[in-house]
Amino acid sequence: MSAGRSPYDTAPPVAAAILRVGLALLIAFGALAVGIARWQVWEAEALTMAPDDPLVLAAQRSAPRGPIVDTRGVVLAETELVGGEARRQYRSVAAAPILGYWSPVFGTSGLERAYDAELIGLAGGSPSEALLRKFERSPYDPATLHLSIDLRLQEKAAQLLGADRGAIVAIEPATGRILALVSSPGYDASRIADPAEGPAYFATLREDPASPLLDRATQGLYVPGSVLKVATALAALDSGAVAPETIFRDQPAEERTGHVVEGFRVRDGHHPMTGDRALDLRRAIEVSCNIYFARTAVLLGGERFRAWGTAAGFDAPIPFELPTAASQLTDRPPGPNGGFRDDAELANAGYGQAQVLVTPLQMALLAAAVANDGVAMRPHLVDAVEWSDGSRRATAPEAWRRIAAPTSAAVVREAMQQAVEGRWGRAFAGAAKVPGVPTAGKSGTAELGGSGEPHSWFIGFAPVEGARIAVAVVVEHGGRGAERAVPLAGQLMAFYLGLGR
Amino acid sequence: MTADATSVRRWPVRPRPRPRELALLAVVAPTLLLGFATLRTQQLAAAGTDRLTLGDPIVPALYLGLLFAAHAILTLAGRQTDQVLLPAVGLLGGLGLLLMERLPPSLVVQRFGPLELGLGSLQLLWLGLALAIIAAFGVLVRSDTWLRLYKYSWAAAGIALLLAVFVLGHEVNGARLTLCLGPVCGQPSELLKVILVVFLAGYLSENRALLASRRSRLGPLGLPPLQHLLPMLATWAIALAIVIVQRDLGAALLFFAIFLALLYVATARWSDVALGLILFVAGSAALYLLLPHVRTRIDIWLDPWAQAQGAGYQTVRALYAFGRGGILGTGLGAGLPQVGDVPAIPAVHTDFAFTALAEETGYLGSLAILATYAVLVERGLRIAARSADDFRALLAAGLTLVIGIQAVIIVGGNARLIPLTGITAPFLSYGGSSLLANAVAVGLLLALSDRGVALPPPPRRPAAERLVAGLRAAGDRVERAIT
Repeated sequence: MSAGRSPYDTAPPVAAAILRVGLALLIAFGALAVGIARWQVWEAEALTMAPDDPLVLAAQRSAPRGPIVDTRGVVLAETELVGGEARRQYRSVAAAPILGYWSPVFGTSGLERAYDAELIGLAGGSPSEALLRKFERSPYDPATLHLSIDLRLQEKAAQLLGADRGAIVAIEPATGRILALVSSPGYDASRIADPAEGPAYFATLREDPASPLLDRATQGLYVPGSVLKVATALAALDSGAVAPETIFRDQPAEERTGHVVEGFRVRDGHHPMTGDRALDLRRAIEVSCNIYFARTAVLLGGERFRAWGTAAGFDAPIPFELPTAASQLTDRPPGPNGGFRDDAELANAGYGQAQVLVTPLQMALLAAAVANDGVAMRPHLVDAVEWSDGSRRATAPEAWRRIAAPTSAAVVREAMQQAVEGRWGRAFAGAAKVPGVPTAGKSGTAELGGSGEPHSWFIGFAPVEGARIAVAVVVEHGGRGAERAVPLAGQLMAFYLGLGR
Repeated sequence: MTADATSVRRWPVRPRPRPRELALLAVVAPTLLLGFATLRTQQLAAAGTDRLTLGDPIVPALYLGLLFAAHAILTLAGRQTDQVLLPAVGLLGGLGLLLMERLPPSLVVQRFGPLELGLGSLQLLWLGLALAIIAAFGVLVRSDTWLRLYKYSWAAAGIALLLAVFVLGHEVNGARLTLCLGPVCGQPSELLKVILVVFLAGYLSENRALLASRRSRLGPLGLPPLQHLLPMLATWAIALAIVIVQRDLGAALLFFAIFLALLYVATARWSDVALGLILFVAGSAALYLLLPHVRTRIDIWLDPWAQAQGAGYQTVRALYAFGRGGILGTGLGAGLPQVGDVPAIPAVHTDFAFTALAEETGYLGSLAILATYAVLVERGLRIAARSADDFRALLAAGLTLVIGIQAVIIVGGNARLIPLTGITAPFLSYGGSSLLANAVAVGLLLALSDRGVALPPPPRRPAAERLVAGLRAAGDRVERAIT
């Protein structure tokens, strides 16, 4: 060895380093395998169903599209060939806010969008079916959507709402099945799908100040007024801030003068009826006492009220097949006092004013939860997806949130029955009574400030025990609850219970 | 005729059977034939005919013929070279050819006199040349002296090539990568990576001991002597220059990764890699802040859906393609590489070749392709680890890393594990420069795997190296004076 080689003796052998580099590359290849599995295995189905996946777009133009039927099998939407071209036909204008539309020009909305892949037939049933279909010429197996909607109830609800702006949600409390979901004004989806008429019609809809394309039932945010007292009552009972027997001794006196919170004067209108009696929680719901719930909210405190709201589905979109807006008790993020600015805001929120905004769907779930011992079932529109070979993917009823203890729900249930059927309550919500059936509910008159007529609200359910239907009705600028929403809801519930199972 | 057997031998060496290579090719050939048959059947079914057919057998027959011809040439040459590299390259090249045959031929059209060739035919042409290069290197390269001795000449040639691209290059898709000589255009950075490896192998093997020693420290990092840091800084600067001038993020990333890996092989010091990574992060951060196109790439990587119809279009479409493939794939020819006449993923034949194959062959196909790359890497590193001396070890390791790291960068970019950079998937993607450069790498590996090749005599020191040695000595004196 020459002297020049000696430094090499101190250098480490390369073979060991090469082995380590090889191991590092092996790990990199392993990471690639895992990273690709994310797209090809775990998220493959979700990716394939994305509405802007070119395969979905291409299939929409050429492939047949499955029908959508109601709970009794009545066809709501189907594809027909018009002059050799697939055209979507909608059988009921009333179902538009649920179904949405399908158009080769404007794309999709509603369930047509949410279940695009199933309707085209890209999302298979069982994995073995999907494998077998790879060997067939057409890779598409359009599925049929079976909805929980009853078209008769849906059309009745739309007819009751008439030309008024507003929304109705009807739900089966024990299962979360949506029985009807109406938004008014609506639109004719068949006209959007018509390539000749579509563009002009769609432009009209877009520019209409009444926003017919907005699904008010799931995305409309309304001041709830007194229907929110149901929520305040549940939150206060659950937390122990009040008991069913709690009374406020000053309340009768304050009926005449108003109850002052931080300079804000809460007023009431029921003192000619109740006089000097101090009301307990049930009576306060029955006569819709603002002062009682203002004081209850302050007693409850912002933190606990906000926490209850978040647990009951406020502050976040409700998981649903259609896009939903988030309801709120206050417009500010959670913080000290639950985000409420002061006790004045909190007191007003206690009876559904201030910054409270809710969706009709959220209010329907509130009523359904009271009927269902405090458990809100996860709402759904699609009972089952069915493929041509008869295989089905059914939606199982699933508890979504427990929003109140069973005992609290029972107290509020009794109170809501009193609000419809009681000696005093009849004056407010008696028109919601389903003849011969114990009925519970709560009316609301959402003051909007300024000069406009208030929104007319009602939430309720029937029968009181083992309720088969819970509803939320809002009629924009419909006046006092009793004037519009209450009789409407009564007729709707009576109609449904009269249909038989 | 005399009785002396050696004087009548037709070949200078005795043919030596390559049973393992033949057996592997016997697996690769039916696999590819089945692929071509499936593709043809699917294409005919789409056209309305529904019978099983081999269709046009010319393309697969030609390709497999070339593959077996390469095998025959290596057999006749009788050298004891590696028998796995050729089948692995043959499989990857064949899969790439399947994809190019499947895509519309009009994607790339080149005219040679009266002859007009489409995508598939061009790829077959380039694959033929690539196999010829592999076979030629495997037969003819019997000494590494020409690489070992002239490393500075190679480096100068590489830098000249780079400068030529800087000055004369054409801009395609916002990146200045292409250099045209008359009618033939190529991407010199593909060849540059091989030249870089040759230079680094020469430089590092000569200075290994010095680089591995430690004389100065920077915080927790032990630094090599200052003058030996220069190559690292120079490579880093060249990589940055490539990004800034050529806008070629992929090549820059590849060059720097190869450099760090080879530096580690030479010194076995993690601190060098750590220092390199610090430089990398600093450089990336600066580029992110300074260059809008780098920022766009990173933003797309973080959330492609934020601009699904804009800059993120390509990535989003690629992810949809992965999703459509699922576990088992759509089947060859049944995927959706184009909508109407527009490719569903822009640059599907170059940057997204892996994605397109993953769609049609599924996750299982993806794993198979990754495994084939892993086999190539394993063989290459095995050749490196068994090499007779440091130069060959570093050269073989570097050539292997060229293919392995490039595969990781582009597949990782396709699958959104790292930001997407526009480089080719070795042997899968369309592109002459890429195929030929990778063929040179594999051909050299094949030659290096022959342990029968004697080591060269102790090298004469050329003038350039004497000059460098002088400079180094001067540097040492300066440093001693400082410390």
